[in-house]
Amino acid sequence: MKWNIPSLKELEKYFWRCTACGTCRSAYDYGPPPNARPICPAGTEFGFEGYYSSKGKAAYARGVMDGTLDFDDPEFLEAVYKCTVCAGCQNQCQVDFKPHIPEVIEALRREAVARGAGPLPLQKNLVQSMKNYNNPYQGPRRVRTEWTRPFKKAKTPIKNINKKSAPILFYVGCTGAFNQVARAVPTATAQIFQKLDLDFGILGENEVCCGSTAMRLGDADEFKRVATANLETFQKLHEERGVNTIVTSCAGCYRAIKKDYTLSSDFDKMMAGIKVVHTVDYLYDLLQEGKLKFEKELPWTVTYHDPCHTGRHLNKFKVDEDGSELWEGAYIDVDESECLYDRPREILQAIPGIKFVEMDRIRANSYCCGGGGGVMTGFGDWAAKNAGIRVAEAMETSAEKMVTTCPFCHYNLNEGAKRSGSSMPTHDLTEIINMVLPEKE
Amino acid sequence: MTEMHTESTDQQRIIKELQAIVGEKNATAAKHVRYAYSYDMSFVLPKLPDYVVMAETPEHIQNILRFANQEKIPVVPFTAGTNIGGLCIPERGGILLDLKKMNKIIKIDAESHYAVIEPGVSHGQLAEALHEHKLRFGWPVGPPSASVSSCAISHGIGGLNARYGLNSQEITSMEVVLPTGELVRVGSCAIQEDSWHSTMPMPKLDGLFKGWLGSSGVVTKLGIAVHPIPPVLKVFTVSCDNVEDMYSYMLNLSNYEICDDLTAVSWWLAQVPIPYPYREKPDDQPEWFSFANTNSFTEKEKEAREEIWETVVAEEQKKGTSLKVTEYPEEALRARTQLPSQIVGSTKNYCKMAGAGISWPGTFTPANKWAPVYNEWKQILIAHKLSPSVRMSMYRGVHYGMLRAMIPFGKQNPEENENARRAIVECLKVDLDHGGMPYKPPVDFGVEINRRAHPGYLELLKRVKQMLDPNDIMNPGKLGI
Repeated sequence: MKWNIPSLKELEKYFWRCTACGTCRSAYDYGPPPNARPICPAGTEFGFEGYYSSKGKAAYARGVMDGTLDFDDPEFLEAVYKCTVCAGCQNQCQVDFKPHIPEVIEALRREAVARGAGPLPLQKNLVQSMKNYNNPYQGPRRVRTEWTRPFKKAKTPIKNINKKSAPILFYVGCTGAFNQVARAVPTATAQIFQKLDLDFGILGENEVCCGSTAMRLGDADEFKRVATANLETFQKLHEERGVNTIVTSCAGCYRAIKKDYTLSSDFDKMMAGIKVVHTVDYLYDLLQEGKLKFEKELPWTVTYHDPCHTGRHLNKFKVDEDGSELWEGAYIDVDESECLYDRPREILQAIPGIKFVEMDRIRANSYCCGGGGGVMTGFGDWAAKNAGIRVAEAMETSAEKMVTTCPFCHYNLNEGAKRSGSSMPTHDLTEIINMVLPEKE
Repeated sequence: MTEMHTESTDQQRIIKELQAIVGEKNATAAKHVRYAYSYDMSFVLPKLPDYVVMAETPEHIQNILRFANQEKIPVVPFTAGTNIGGLCIPERGGILLDLKKMNKIIKIDAESHYAVIEPGVSHGQLAEALHEHKLRFGWPVGPPSASVSSCAISHGIGGLNARYGLNSQEITSMEVVLPTGELVRVGSCAIQEDSWHSTMPMPKLDGLFKGWLGSSGVVTKLGIAVHPIPPVLKVFTVSCDNVEDMYSYMLNLSNYEICDDLTAVSWWLAQVPIPYPYREKPDDQPEWFSFANTNSFTEKEKEAREEIWETVVAEEQKKGTSLKVTEYPEEALRARTQLPSQIVGSTKNYCKMAGAGISWPGTFTPANKWAPVYNEWKQILIAHKLSPSVRMSMYRGVHYGMLRAMIPFGKQNPEENENARRAIVECLKVDLDHGGMPYKPPVDFGVEINRRAHPGYLELLKRVKQMLDPNDIMNPGKLGI
């Protein structure tokens, strides 16, 4: 299997296409009325140009390639990792650098790792944990299924798909399994699936990390190891257990399997006959078919936080690779059809009693919670502080609660609320849906 | 570090002193931070500052400048760094003074129609705030994240040039930190704390800080006139086959003073993006397009403007010019009428095809010289395989306006960079010889200006500069004196 993960050198022609115009620094819309908001968490926190959005990262990339900047400088190494890789800057850019921005940031990190410098010490623990335990949480394998104990106790155990067939693989993800707060997400998801009588199973202790953490930190080798193992598992499950749908409630896993895994030369072959969907996507289709009925009322005013990984990270860019349409490398267009902006909102607004209000920075201009890109581990204080900014934005609406569809956002936004003394909780959409679904008869 | 600097300073001590002024997190000599400030989109070659400092208050700036004078360290003010003249790239190292954290809109007086802003306020930010009061300002075609103040004090233009003049002409008062660290006020705010309405009738001291390329002080507060938004927009678009006919139309229309913005662009500049390298215009396409933005308060007012415009069109056509009423390329029209804009602002319009570099001979040129200058520019640029992507905009009145060639080039390639530079300097010389003057000039232009300048002008410039900045620390070298 070959992996087409580009090096910084291979991306050089793209980061030299950054005009340094600074459009990436704020989310601006002409309207009318015009609307201008900060979009870059690192720029907001650290202020210096290099920290600011894709313009800053293009500068770093140029500096590394021309030899001026060296990863042996610990401050520079930190600066490279002081970015959530949220792609907020990418959404603003209008030039040919646009499609490649998160790639370049991660390629910078891969360069740091390849030269023996990156990632940062705390982040190295994550990668080592993946090697030791197949998860970044240093959790022994048996802990992966602790969240399923209540189901066993209630005599409604979750199917072990290693042993029994099912058309749906519920890919839980490491955060949902090992993070005590985020366990609410797979718990709610599994309860929903059971209420709907869906035939699904989990890999349980055999589940291996999707590799998103490693990829975001620049450890391409570790990513390839787990991604290859997962692709082989998925193919085997399809052939031997009848799996035709992989559902996940984790935005990070979703992005990894849906996008990062396509860098494999064998992706199409190994994933033939398998659909990968986010739980929200899956439930939305059931709602449209009349199979998802909300019986209870929830008299809440809520707002929705778009996670980066279920939103703009799923953009598909049309690029004139060979110059046959415009010129070589020309960015032509963006396709947002796979971004989950509308579906979570429609589900929320279909729940009786819910009053839905929007924040200012939403959809493709959602302000990152601050947890991604290795920041939660590398710079926990900053991650929580940034989450506090997002919570404050939610509080400017009349919302009592925030809803999201990513366990990282779920955890970090709740941390941010604690830190800033806010009473606004963040729920995962699966928790909300589970509250209003009738019990299985 | 610069030679001047290493002879007299100790880097660690300097950093500690700067951190003592602005806080530890706001001052650094880290190379990766300095690197990101060392270049911009222009042909000006990169140069590193020695330190980068972010100021949050006028007091910070005062103390930094006092310290810089003591140590003889240059100081280069910076807001967004999106000028196309390399103005924030230090000629002699020193302290890069980043003002982006000073981003408060201090006051919007919706009754008296002025606003008071700090240097870090962006066009996008101000556009949003003013819109709530149904007010507007002259938004340039630069990025929405660029600084209102920096544009205005550098004689930047906006979308209201024809009606109100340049953005520098909209300045109503200033607060400035002099290069020697004193805090001064200019205009009505000098007499009454909260009064920012006018620089007149007192001596026009604002001229000491406008057009000086950041070398005469740091503007910490700026009062600007703002205007109501007439709700009825009508854009008149025409085309001509040659620059002479387009100038004739613009001169004629300008006499009636009905436009907010009267601009013409050559075919190459009307493409999104500008073709790079040069390619011939298709034979069936006009060489010049014009858009004339008018904003009216009532339909009747709009109709009256339309009547005037139709009269002008009829007159021009009767003269036998090539003028036609025409459709303006849609994306380009949006880029230039829906301001601030991400299309032009991101330079998607300008340099996307070339690969990230853009520079210009951007000039204020007598309108009756536009045609001969353009014709010479066209020859020069095509000879360098560059598109003659030129803009003409009538400023208030009919005697002068912007004449500017937007020249994209591949920034990664030093030969392309140099090719563009040579062509642009050659164009600039032609313009100077016809009585034009460049705005926001890189040092390459300053040399040419000063070569031609009246000795009295140069002497006065030097004297004022020395008076304000006796140690020559304020963005030294930019004026070429």
